[in-house]
Amino acid sequence: MNASPKQETAPSEVLLSISDVQKYYPIREGALQRVAGHVRAVDGVSFDIRRGETVGLVGESGCGKTTLGRVVSGLTDATGGAVHYNLDGTLSQIDHLQDRQARQFRRNCQMVFQDSFASLNPRHLVIDIVGRPLRVYKEVSSGDLVERVVELLEQVGLGRQHLYRYPHQFSGGQRQRISIARALALNPEIIVLDEPTSALDVSVQAQILNLLNDLQAERNLAYLFVTHDLSVVRHMADRLVVMYLGKVCEAGETQSIFDAPHHPYTRALMAAKPDLDDDRTGEQVKGLDGIVPDPARPPQGCRFHTRCEMATPVCGWEVDDVVRWLEDEPGMFEHLSGVERQSEFNAELAFDSEEAAAKLSMAIRSESVPAAMKSALKRLNLKGHKVDIEFEAVDEVQLTARDGGRLASCVLDPAHVAEKSQ
Amino acid sequence: MLDATQASKNVASVRDLKVHFQSKRGVVHAVDGVSFDIRDGETLGLVGETGCGKSVTGRSFLRLLPVPPGILAGGVVSFRPHGPCAVCEGAGCADCTNTGRRASGDQPIDLLSISSENMRRIRGDRIAMIFQDPGKALNPTLTIGAQMSEVFLQHRSAELLERASLPPDTSGAVRRFAAQEPRFGDGLILKFPPKRGQRAKLQVALNQMVTEALAETQVPNPVKLMDRFPHELSGGMRQRVMIAQALACNPDLLIADEPTTALDVTVEARILELIRALQQRRKTSVLYISHDLSLVRRICDRVAVMYAGRIVEIGTTEDVFANPRHPYTRGLMAAVPTAGTARGKLAAIRGTVPELVDPPSACRFAGRCPYETAACRRNDPSLLPVAGDHSVACFIDHPTGSQVAPSFERVTE
Repeated sequence: MNASPKQETAPSEVLLSISDVQKYYPIREGALQRVAGHVRAVDGVSFDIRRGETVGLVGESGCGKTTLGRVVSGLTDATGGAVHYNLDGTLSQIDHLQDRQARQFRRNCQMVFQDSFASLNPRHLVIDIVGRPLRVYKEVSSGDLVERVVELLEQVGLGRQHLYRYPHQFSGGQRQRISIARALALNPEIIVLDEPTSALDVSVQAQILNLLNDLQAERNLAYLFVTHDLSVVRHMADRLVVMYLGKVCEAGETQSIFDAPHHPYTRALMAAKPDLDDDRTGEQVKGLDGIVPDPARPPQGCRFHTRCEMATPVCGWEVDDVVRWLEDEPGMFEHLSGVERQSEFNAELAFDSEEAAAKLSMAIRSESVPAAMKSALKRLNLKGHKVDIEFEAVDEVQLTARDGGRLASCVLDPAHVAEKSQ
Repeated sequence: MLDATQASKNVASVRDLKVHFQSKRGVVHAVDGVSFDIRDGETLGLVGETGCGKSVTGRSFLRLLPVPPGILAGGVVSFRPHGPCAVCEGAGCADCTNTGRRASGDQPIDLLSISSENMRRIRGDRIAMIFQDPGKALNPTLTIGAQMSEVFLQHRSAELLERASLPPDTSGAVRRFAAQEPRFGDGLILKFPPKRGQRAKLQVALNQMVTEALAETQVPNPVKLMDRFPHELSGGMRQRVMIAQALACNPDLLIADEPTTALDVTVEARILELIRALQQRRKTSVLYISHDLSLVRRICDRVAVMYAGRIVEIGTTEDVFANPRHPYTRGLMAAVPTAGTARGKLAAIRGTVPELVDPPSACRFAGRCPYETAACRRNDPSLLPVAGDHSVACFIDHPTGSQVAPSFERVTE
């Protein structure tokens, strides 16, 4: 429990490096369980975590933040890309590690889960739960085990009286403390915190956040803090990574992102949840329309363009956007009988009657269609009961470096984004 | 208890409500003497941590509590249903502020003592509820259209017959279909002429009513939505269906029990906006139960803070948030991380919520309170006004005679 020599190392030393990590889950269908496609939970994410810093990972549910957390801690293998971990000064790829190194990585990278009830074995006593890592890694003799566990429990604000109790005898906050004690047992270098406080009340959340901060200051821990709560991440994180649909849409210093978000999605997230001391209570708080698109068929161009209120014609409008729009229009989708794709941007929509096809070609020029989508339309030909549609082909929007060491993936100029959202 | 003028402004008032639960360890006093009023057309926020009794209070309005183990140990929940406005007969006029509803002069009903039959008539019609998890609250085996129809069949069968241009004295199987009281053989009768046509007419009218109710909540393509099952919809969409269902009969009181907790922040903002817009248009009173202070601040007119089965502070949103009087309210607000708080310096409330098994006669917050004195451990503070609408149950504002009163200053020194 003493201050380890790690503390002397430079704070900028990279502890863990994630490079272009992808995690795809196959969709199987039919009697033979043929792979019909992939759900792209994480689709090419890169960032570094340095010693002693907290990186916040935020996004809506389904954006792949939890999956990424599990890949980082080695609980799931990445489909592509690699996670490198700093073992004795050299960055080694975690899924290529052999015996001794693998053990060294595992004890140095711990995890705290969201649901403390599900992640603690209900049949085990606290001493077994917290003492298990110590026994597995033969850290202590069985005689010293009790004392070590008590020491750990005291660090997280519990005590000797809790040793011989079962998880169900504790409140949510106390269970989360037990999880943290277990994660601390082997004196790790990094802890992946997967929504550690989202099941807790604010007063208990404050206790846990304070505890995590104290432990970090004491042991020079690095945290990967996965959460959907922006006020928590603003309080905790040094750097922030905002994810949307498996991709990073903005990354940088927490304070600079909160001062001036570059990506419209970040801006929307922040606008949706104003601070408690924010005085603009009378104002309408803006949310986002629509739902997160299917990660098995992510949108082209910028993945956020389907919900973005400042989308431009070059954001990657495609055939799927027309189909999605048709679904929400009364009396149109029923007449659509087939879509014949040449590419993502070019397809023939077949309708069951000529009137329906004519109605579509009229409707697509009307006001109900987003203006950006209309201007992105290259060709619209009415051929009997078919409509031929072609959009400008657009490449995927890449993360680009902005001023102040920020990364953002948006085609718009940040000044323009700020101006438009006023 | 209330004078006549004040009573006419409240759609519901709760007086000394006590709900207890029998458990192995003893009787849990989940709600222990709660009193508050819900005024006409206002949004009252009920905030507090898990286990403080806010959901139980909300559910007791509709008697949705399991009895046993629940025990309705005392108190009154009186509710004054509104009737159609006498001047405009429901069309909307200046007298009823365009809502078409008006407080009737009838005696208030005590929701805790009326018969189950009468309770059923009120549920979903005069008082409606939105639940926390729309995935669990919607029936997974019925389409959206089918479960939305139930509200109208239960409470609006007369209007349904009128819309289907059937005479109001229609009897027999058709009538029973419109009131959802099927009898053996009705299915067969309605399948063949002459009743088949009438049933089809009713179905058309019913679908029309459901579509209109769904359209209110701004769902895209309501006609198509009717044939979907709950699992096919996103969380936000399900919650919109729940809201449509709750508001279908234009209730006087809407109880929203953490309606956005299960949703993403971006969707949450949209749902809140929707609830607020519908509430302002229809002048429905809302009891908004939540643990999220910033959210309550955004949409509520008045706030009641609950702790351990009691209301510790109640007042207008501005008063409570600008000038919180109870140490618990102060603690809750300080515990929320904001831009200004330094890392690791969150003001956590020490300890945890006490168990409510046979609580002693003392301030419930004693033991966690930084301003506690001996008086707090011996006496039970009662909810008394400090200024105008703002009431608080704490000895700081209401010292008890000879005892040394706690004060904010003493500790902050």
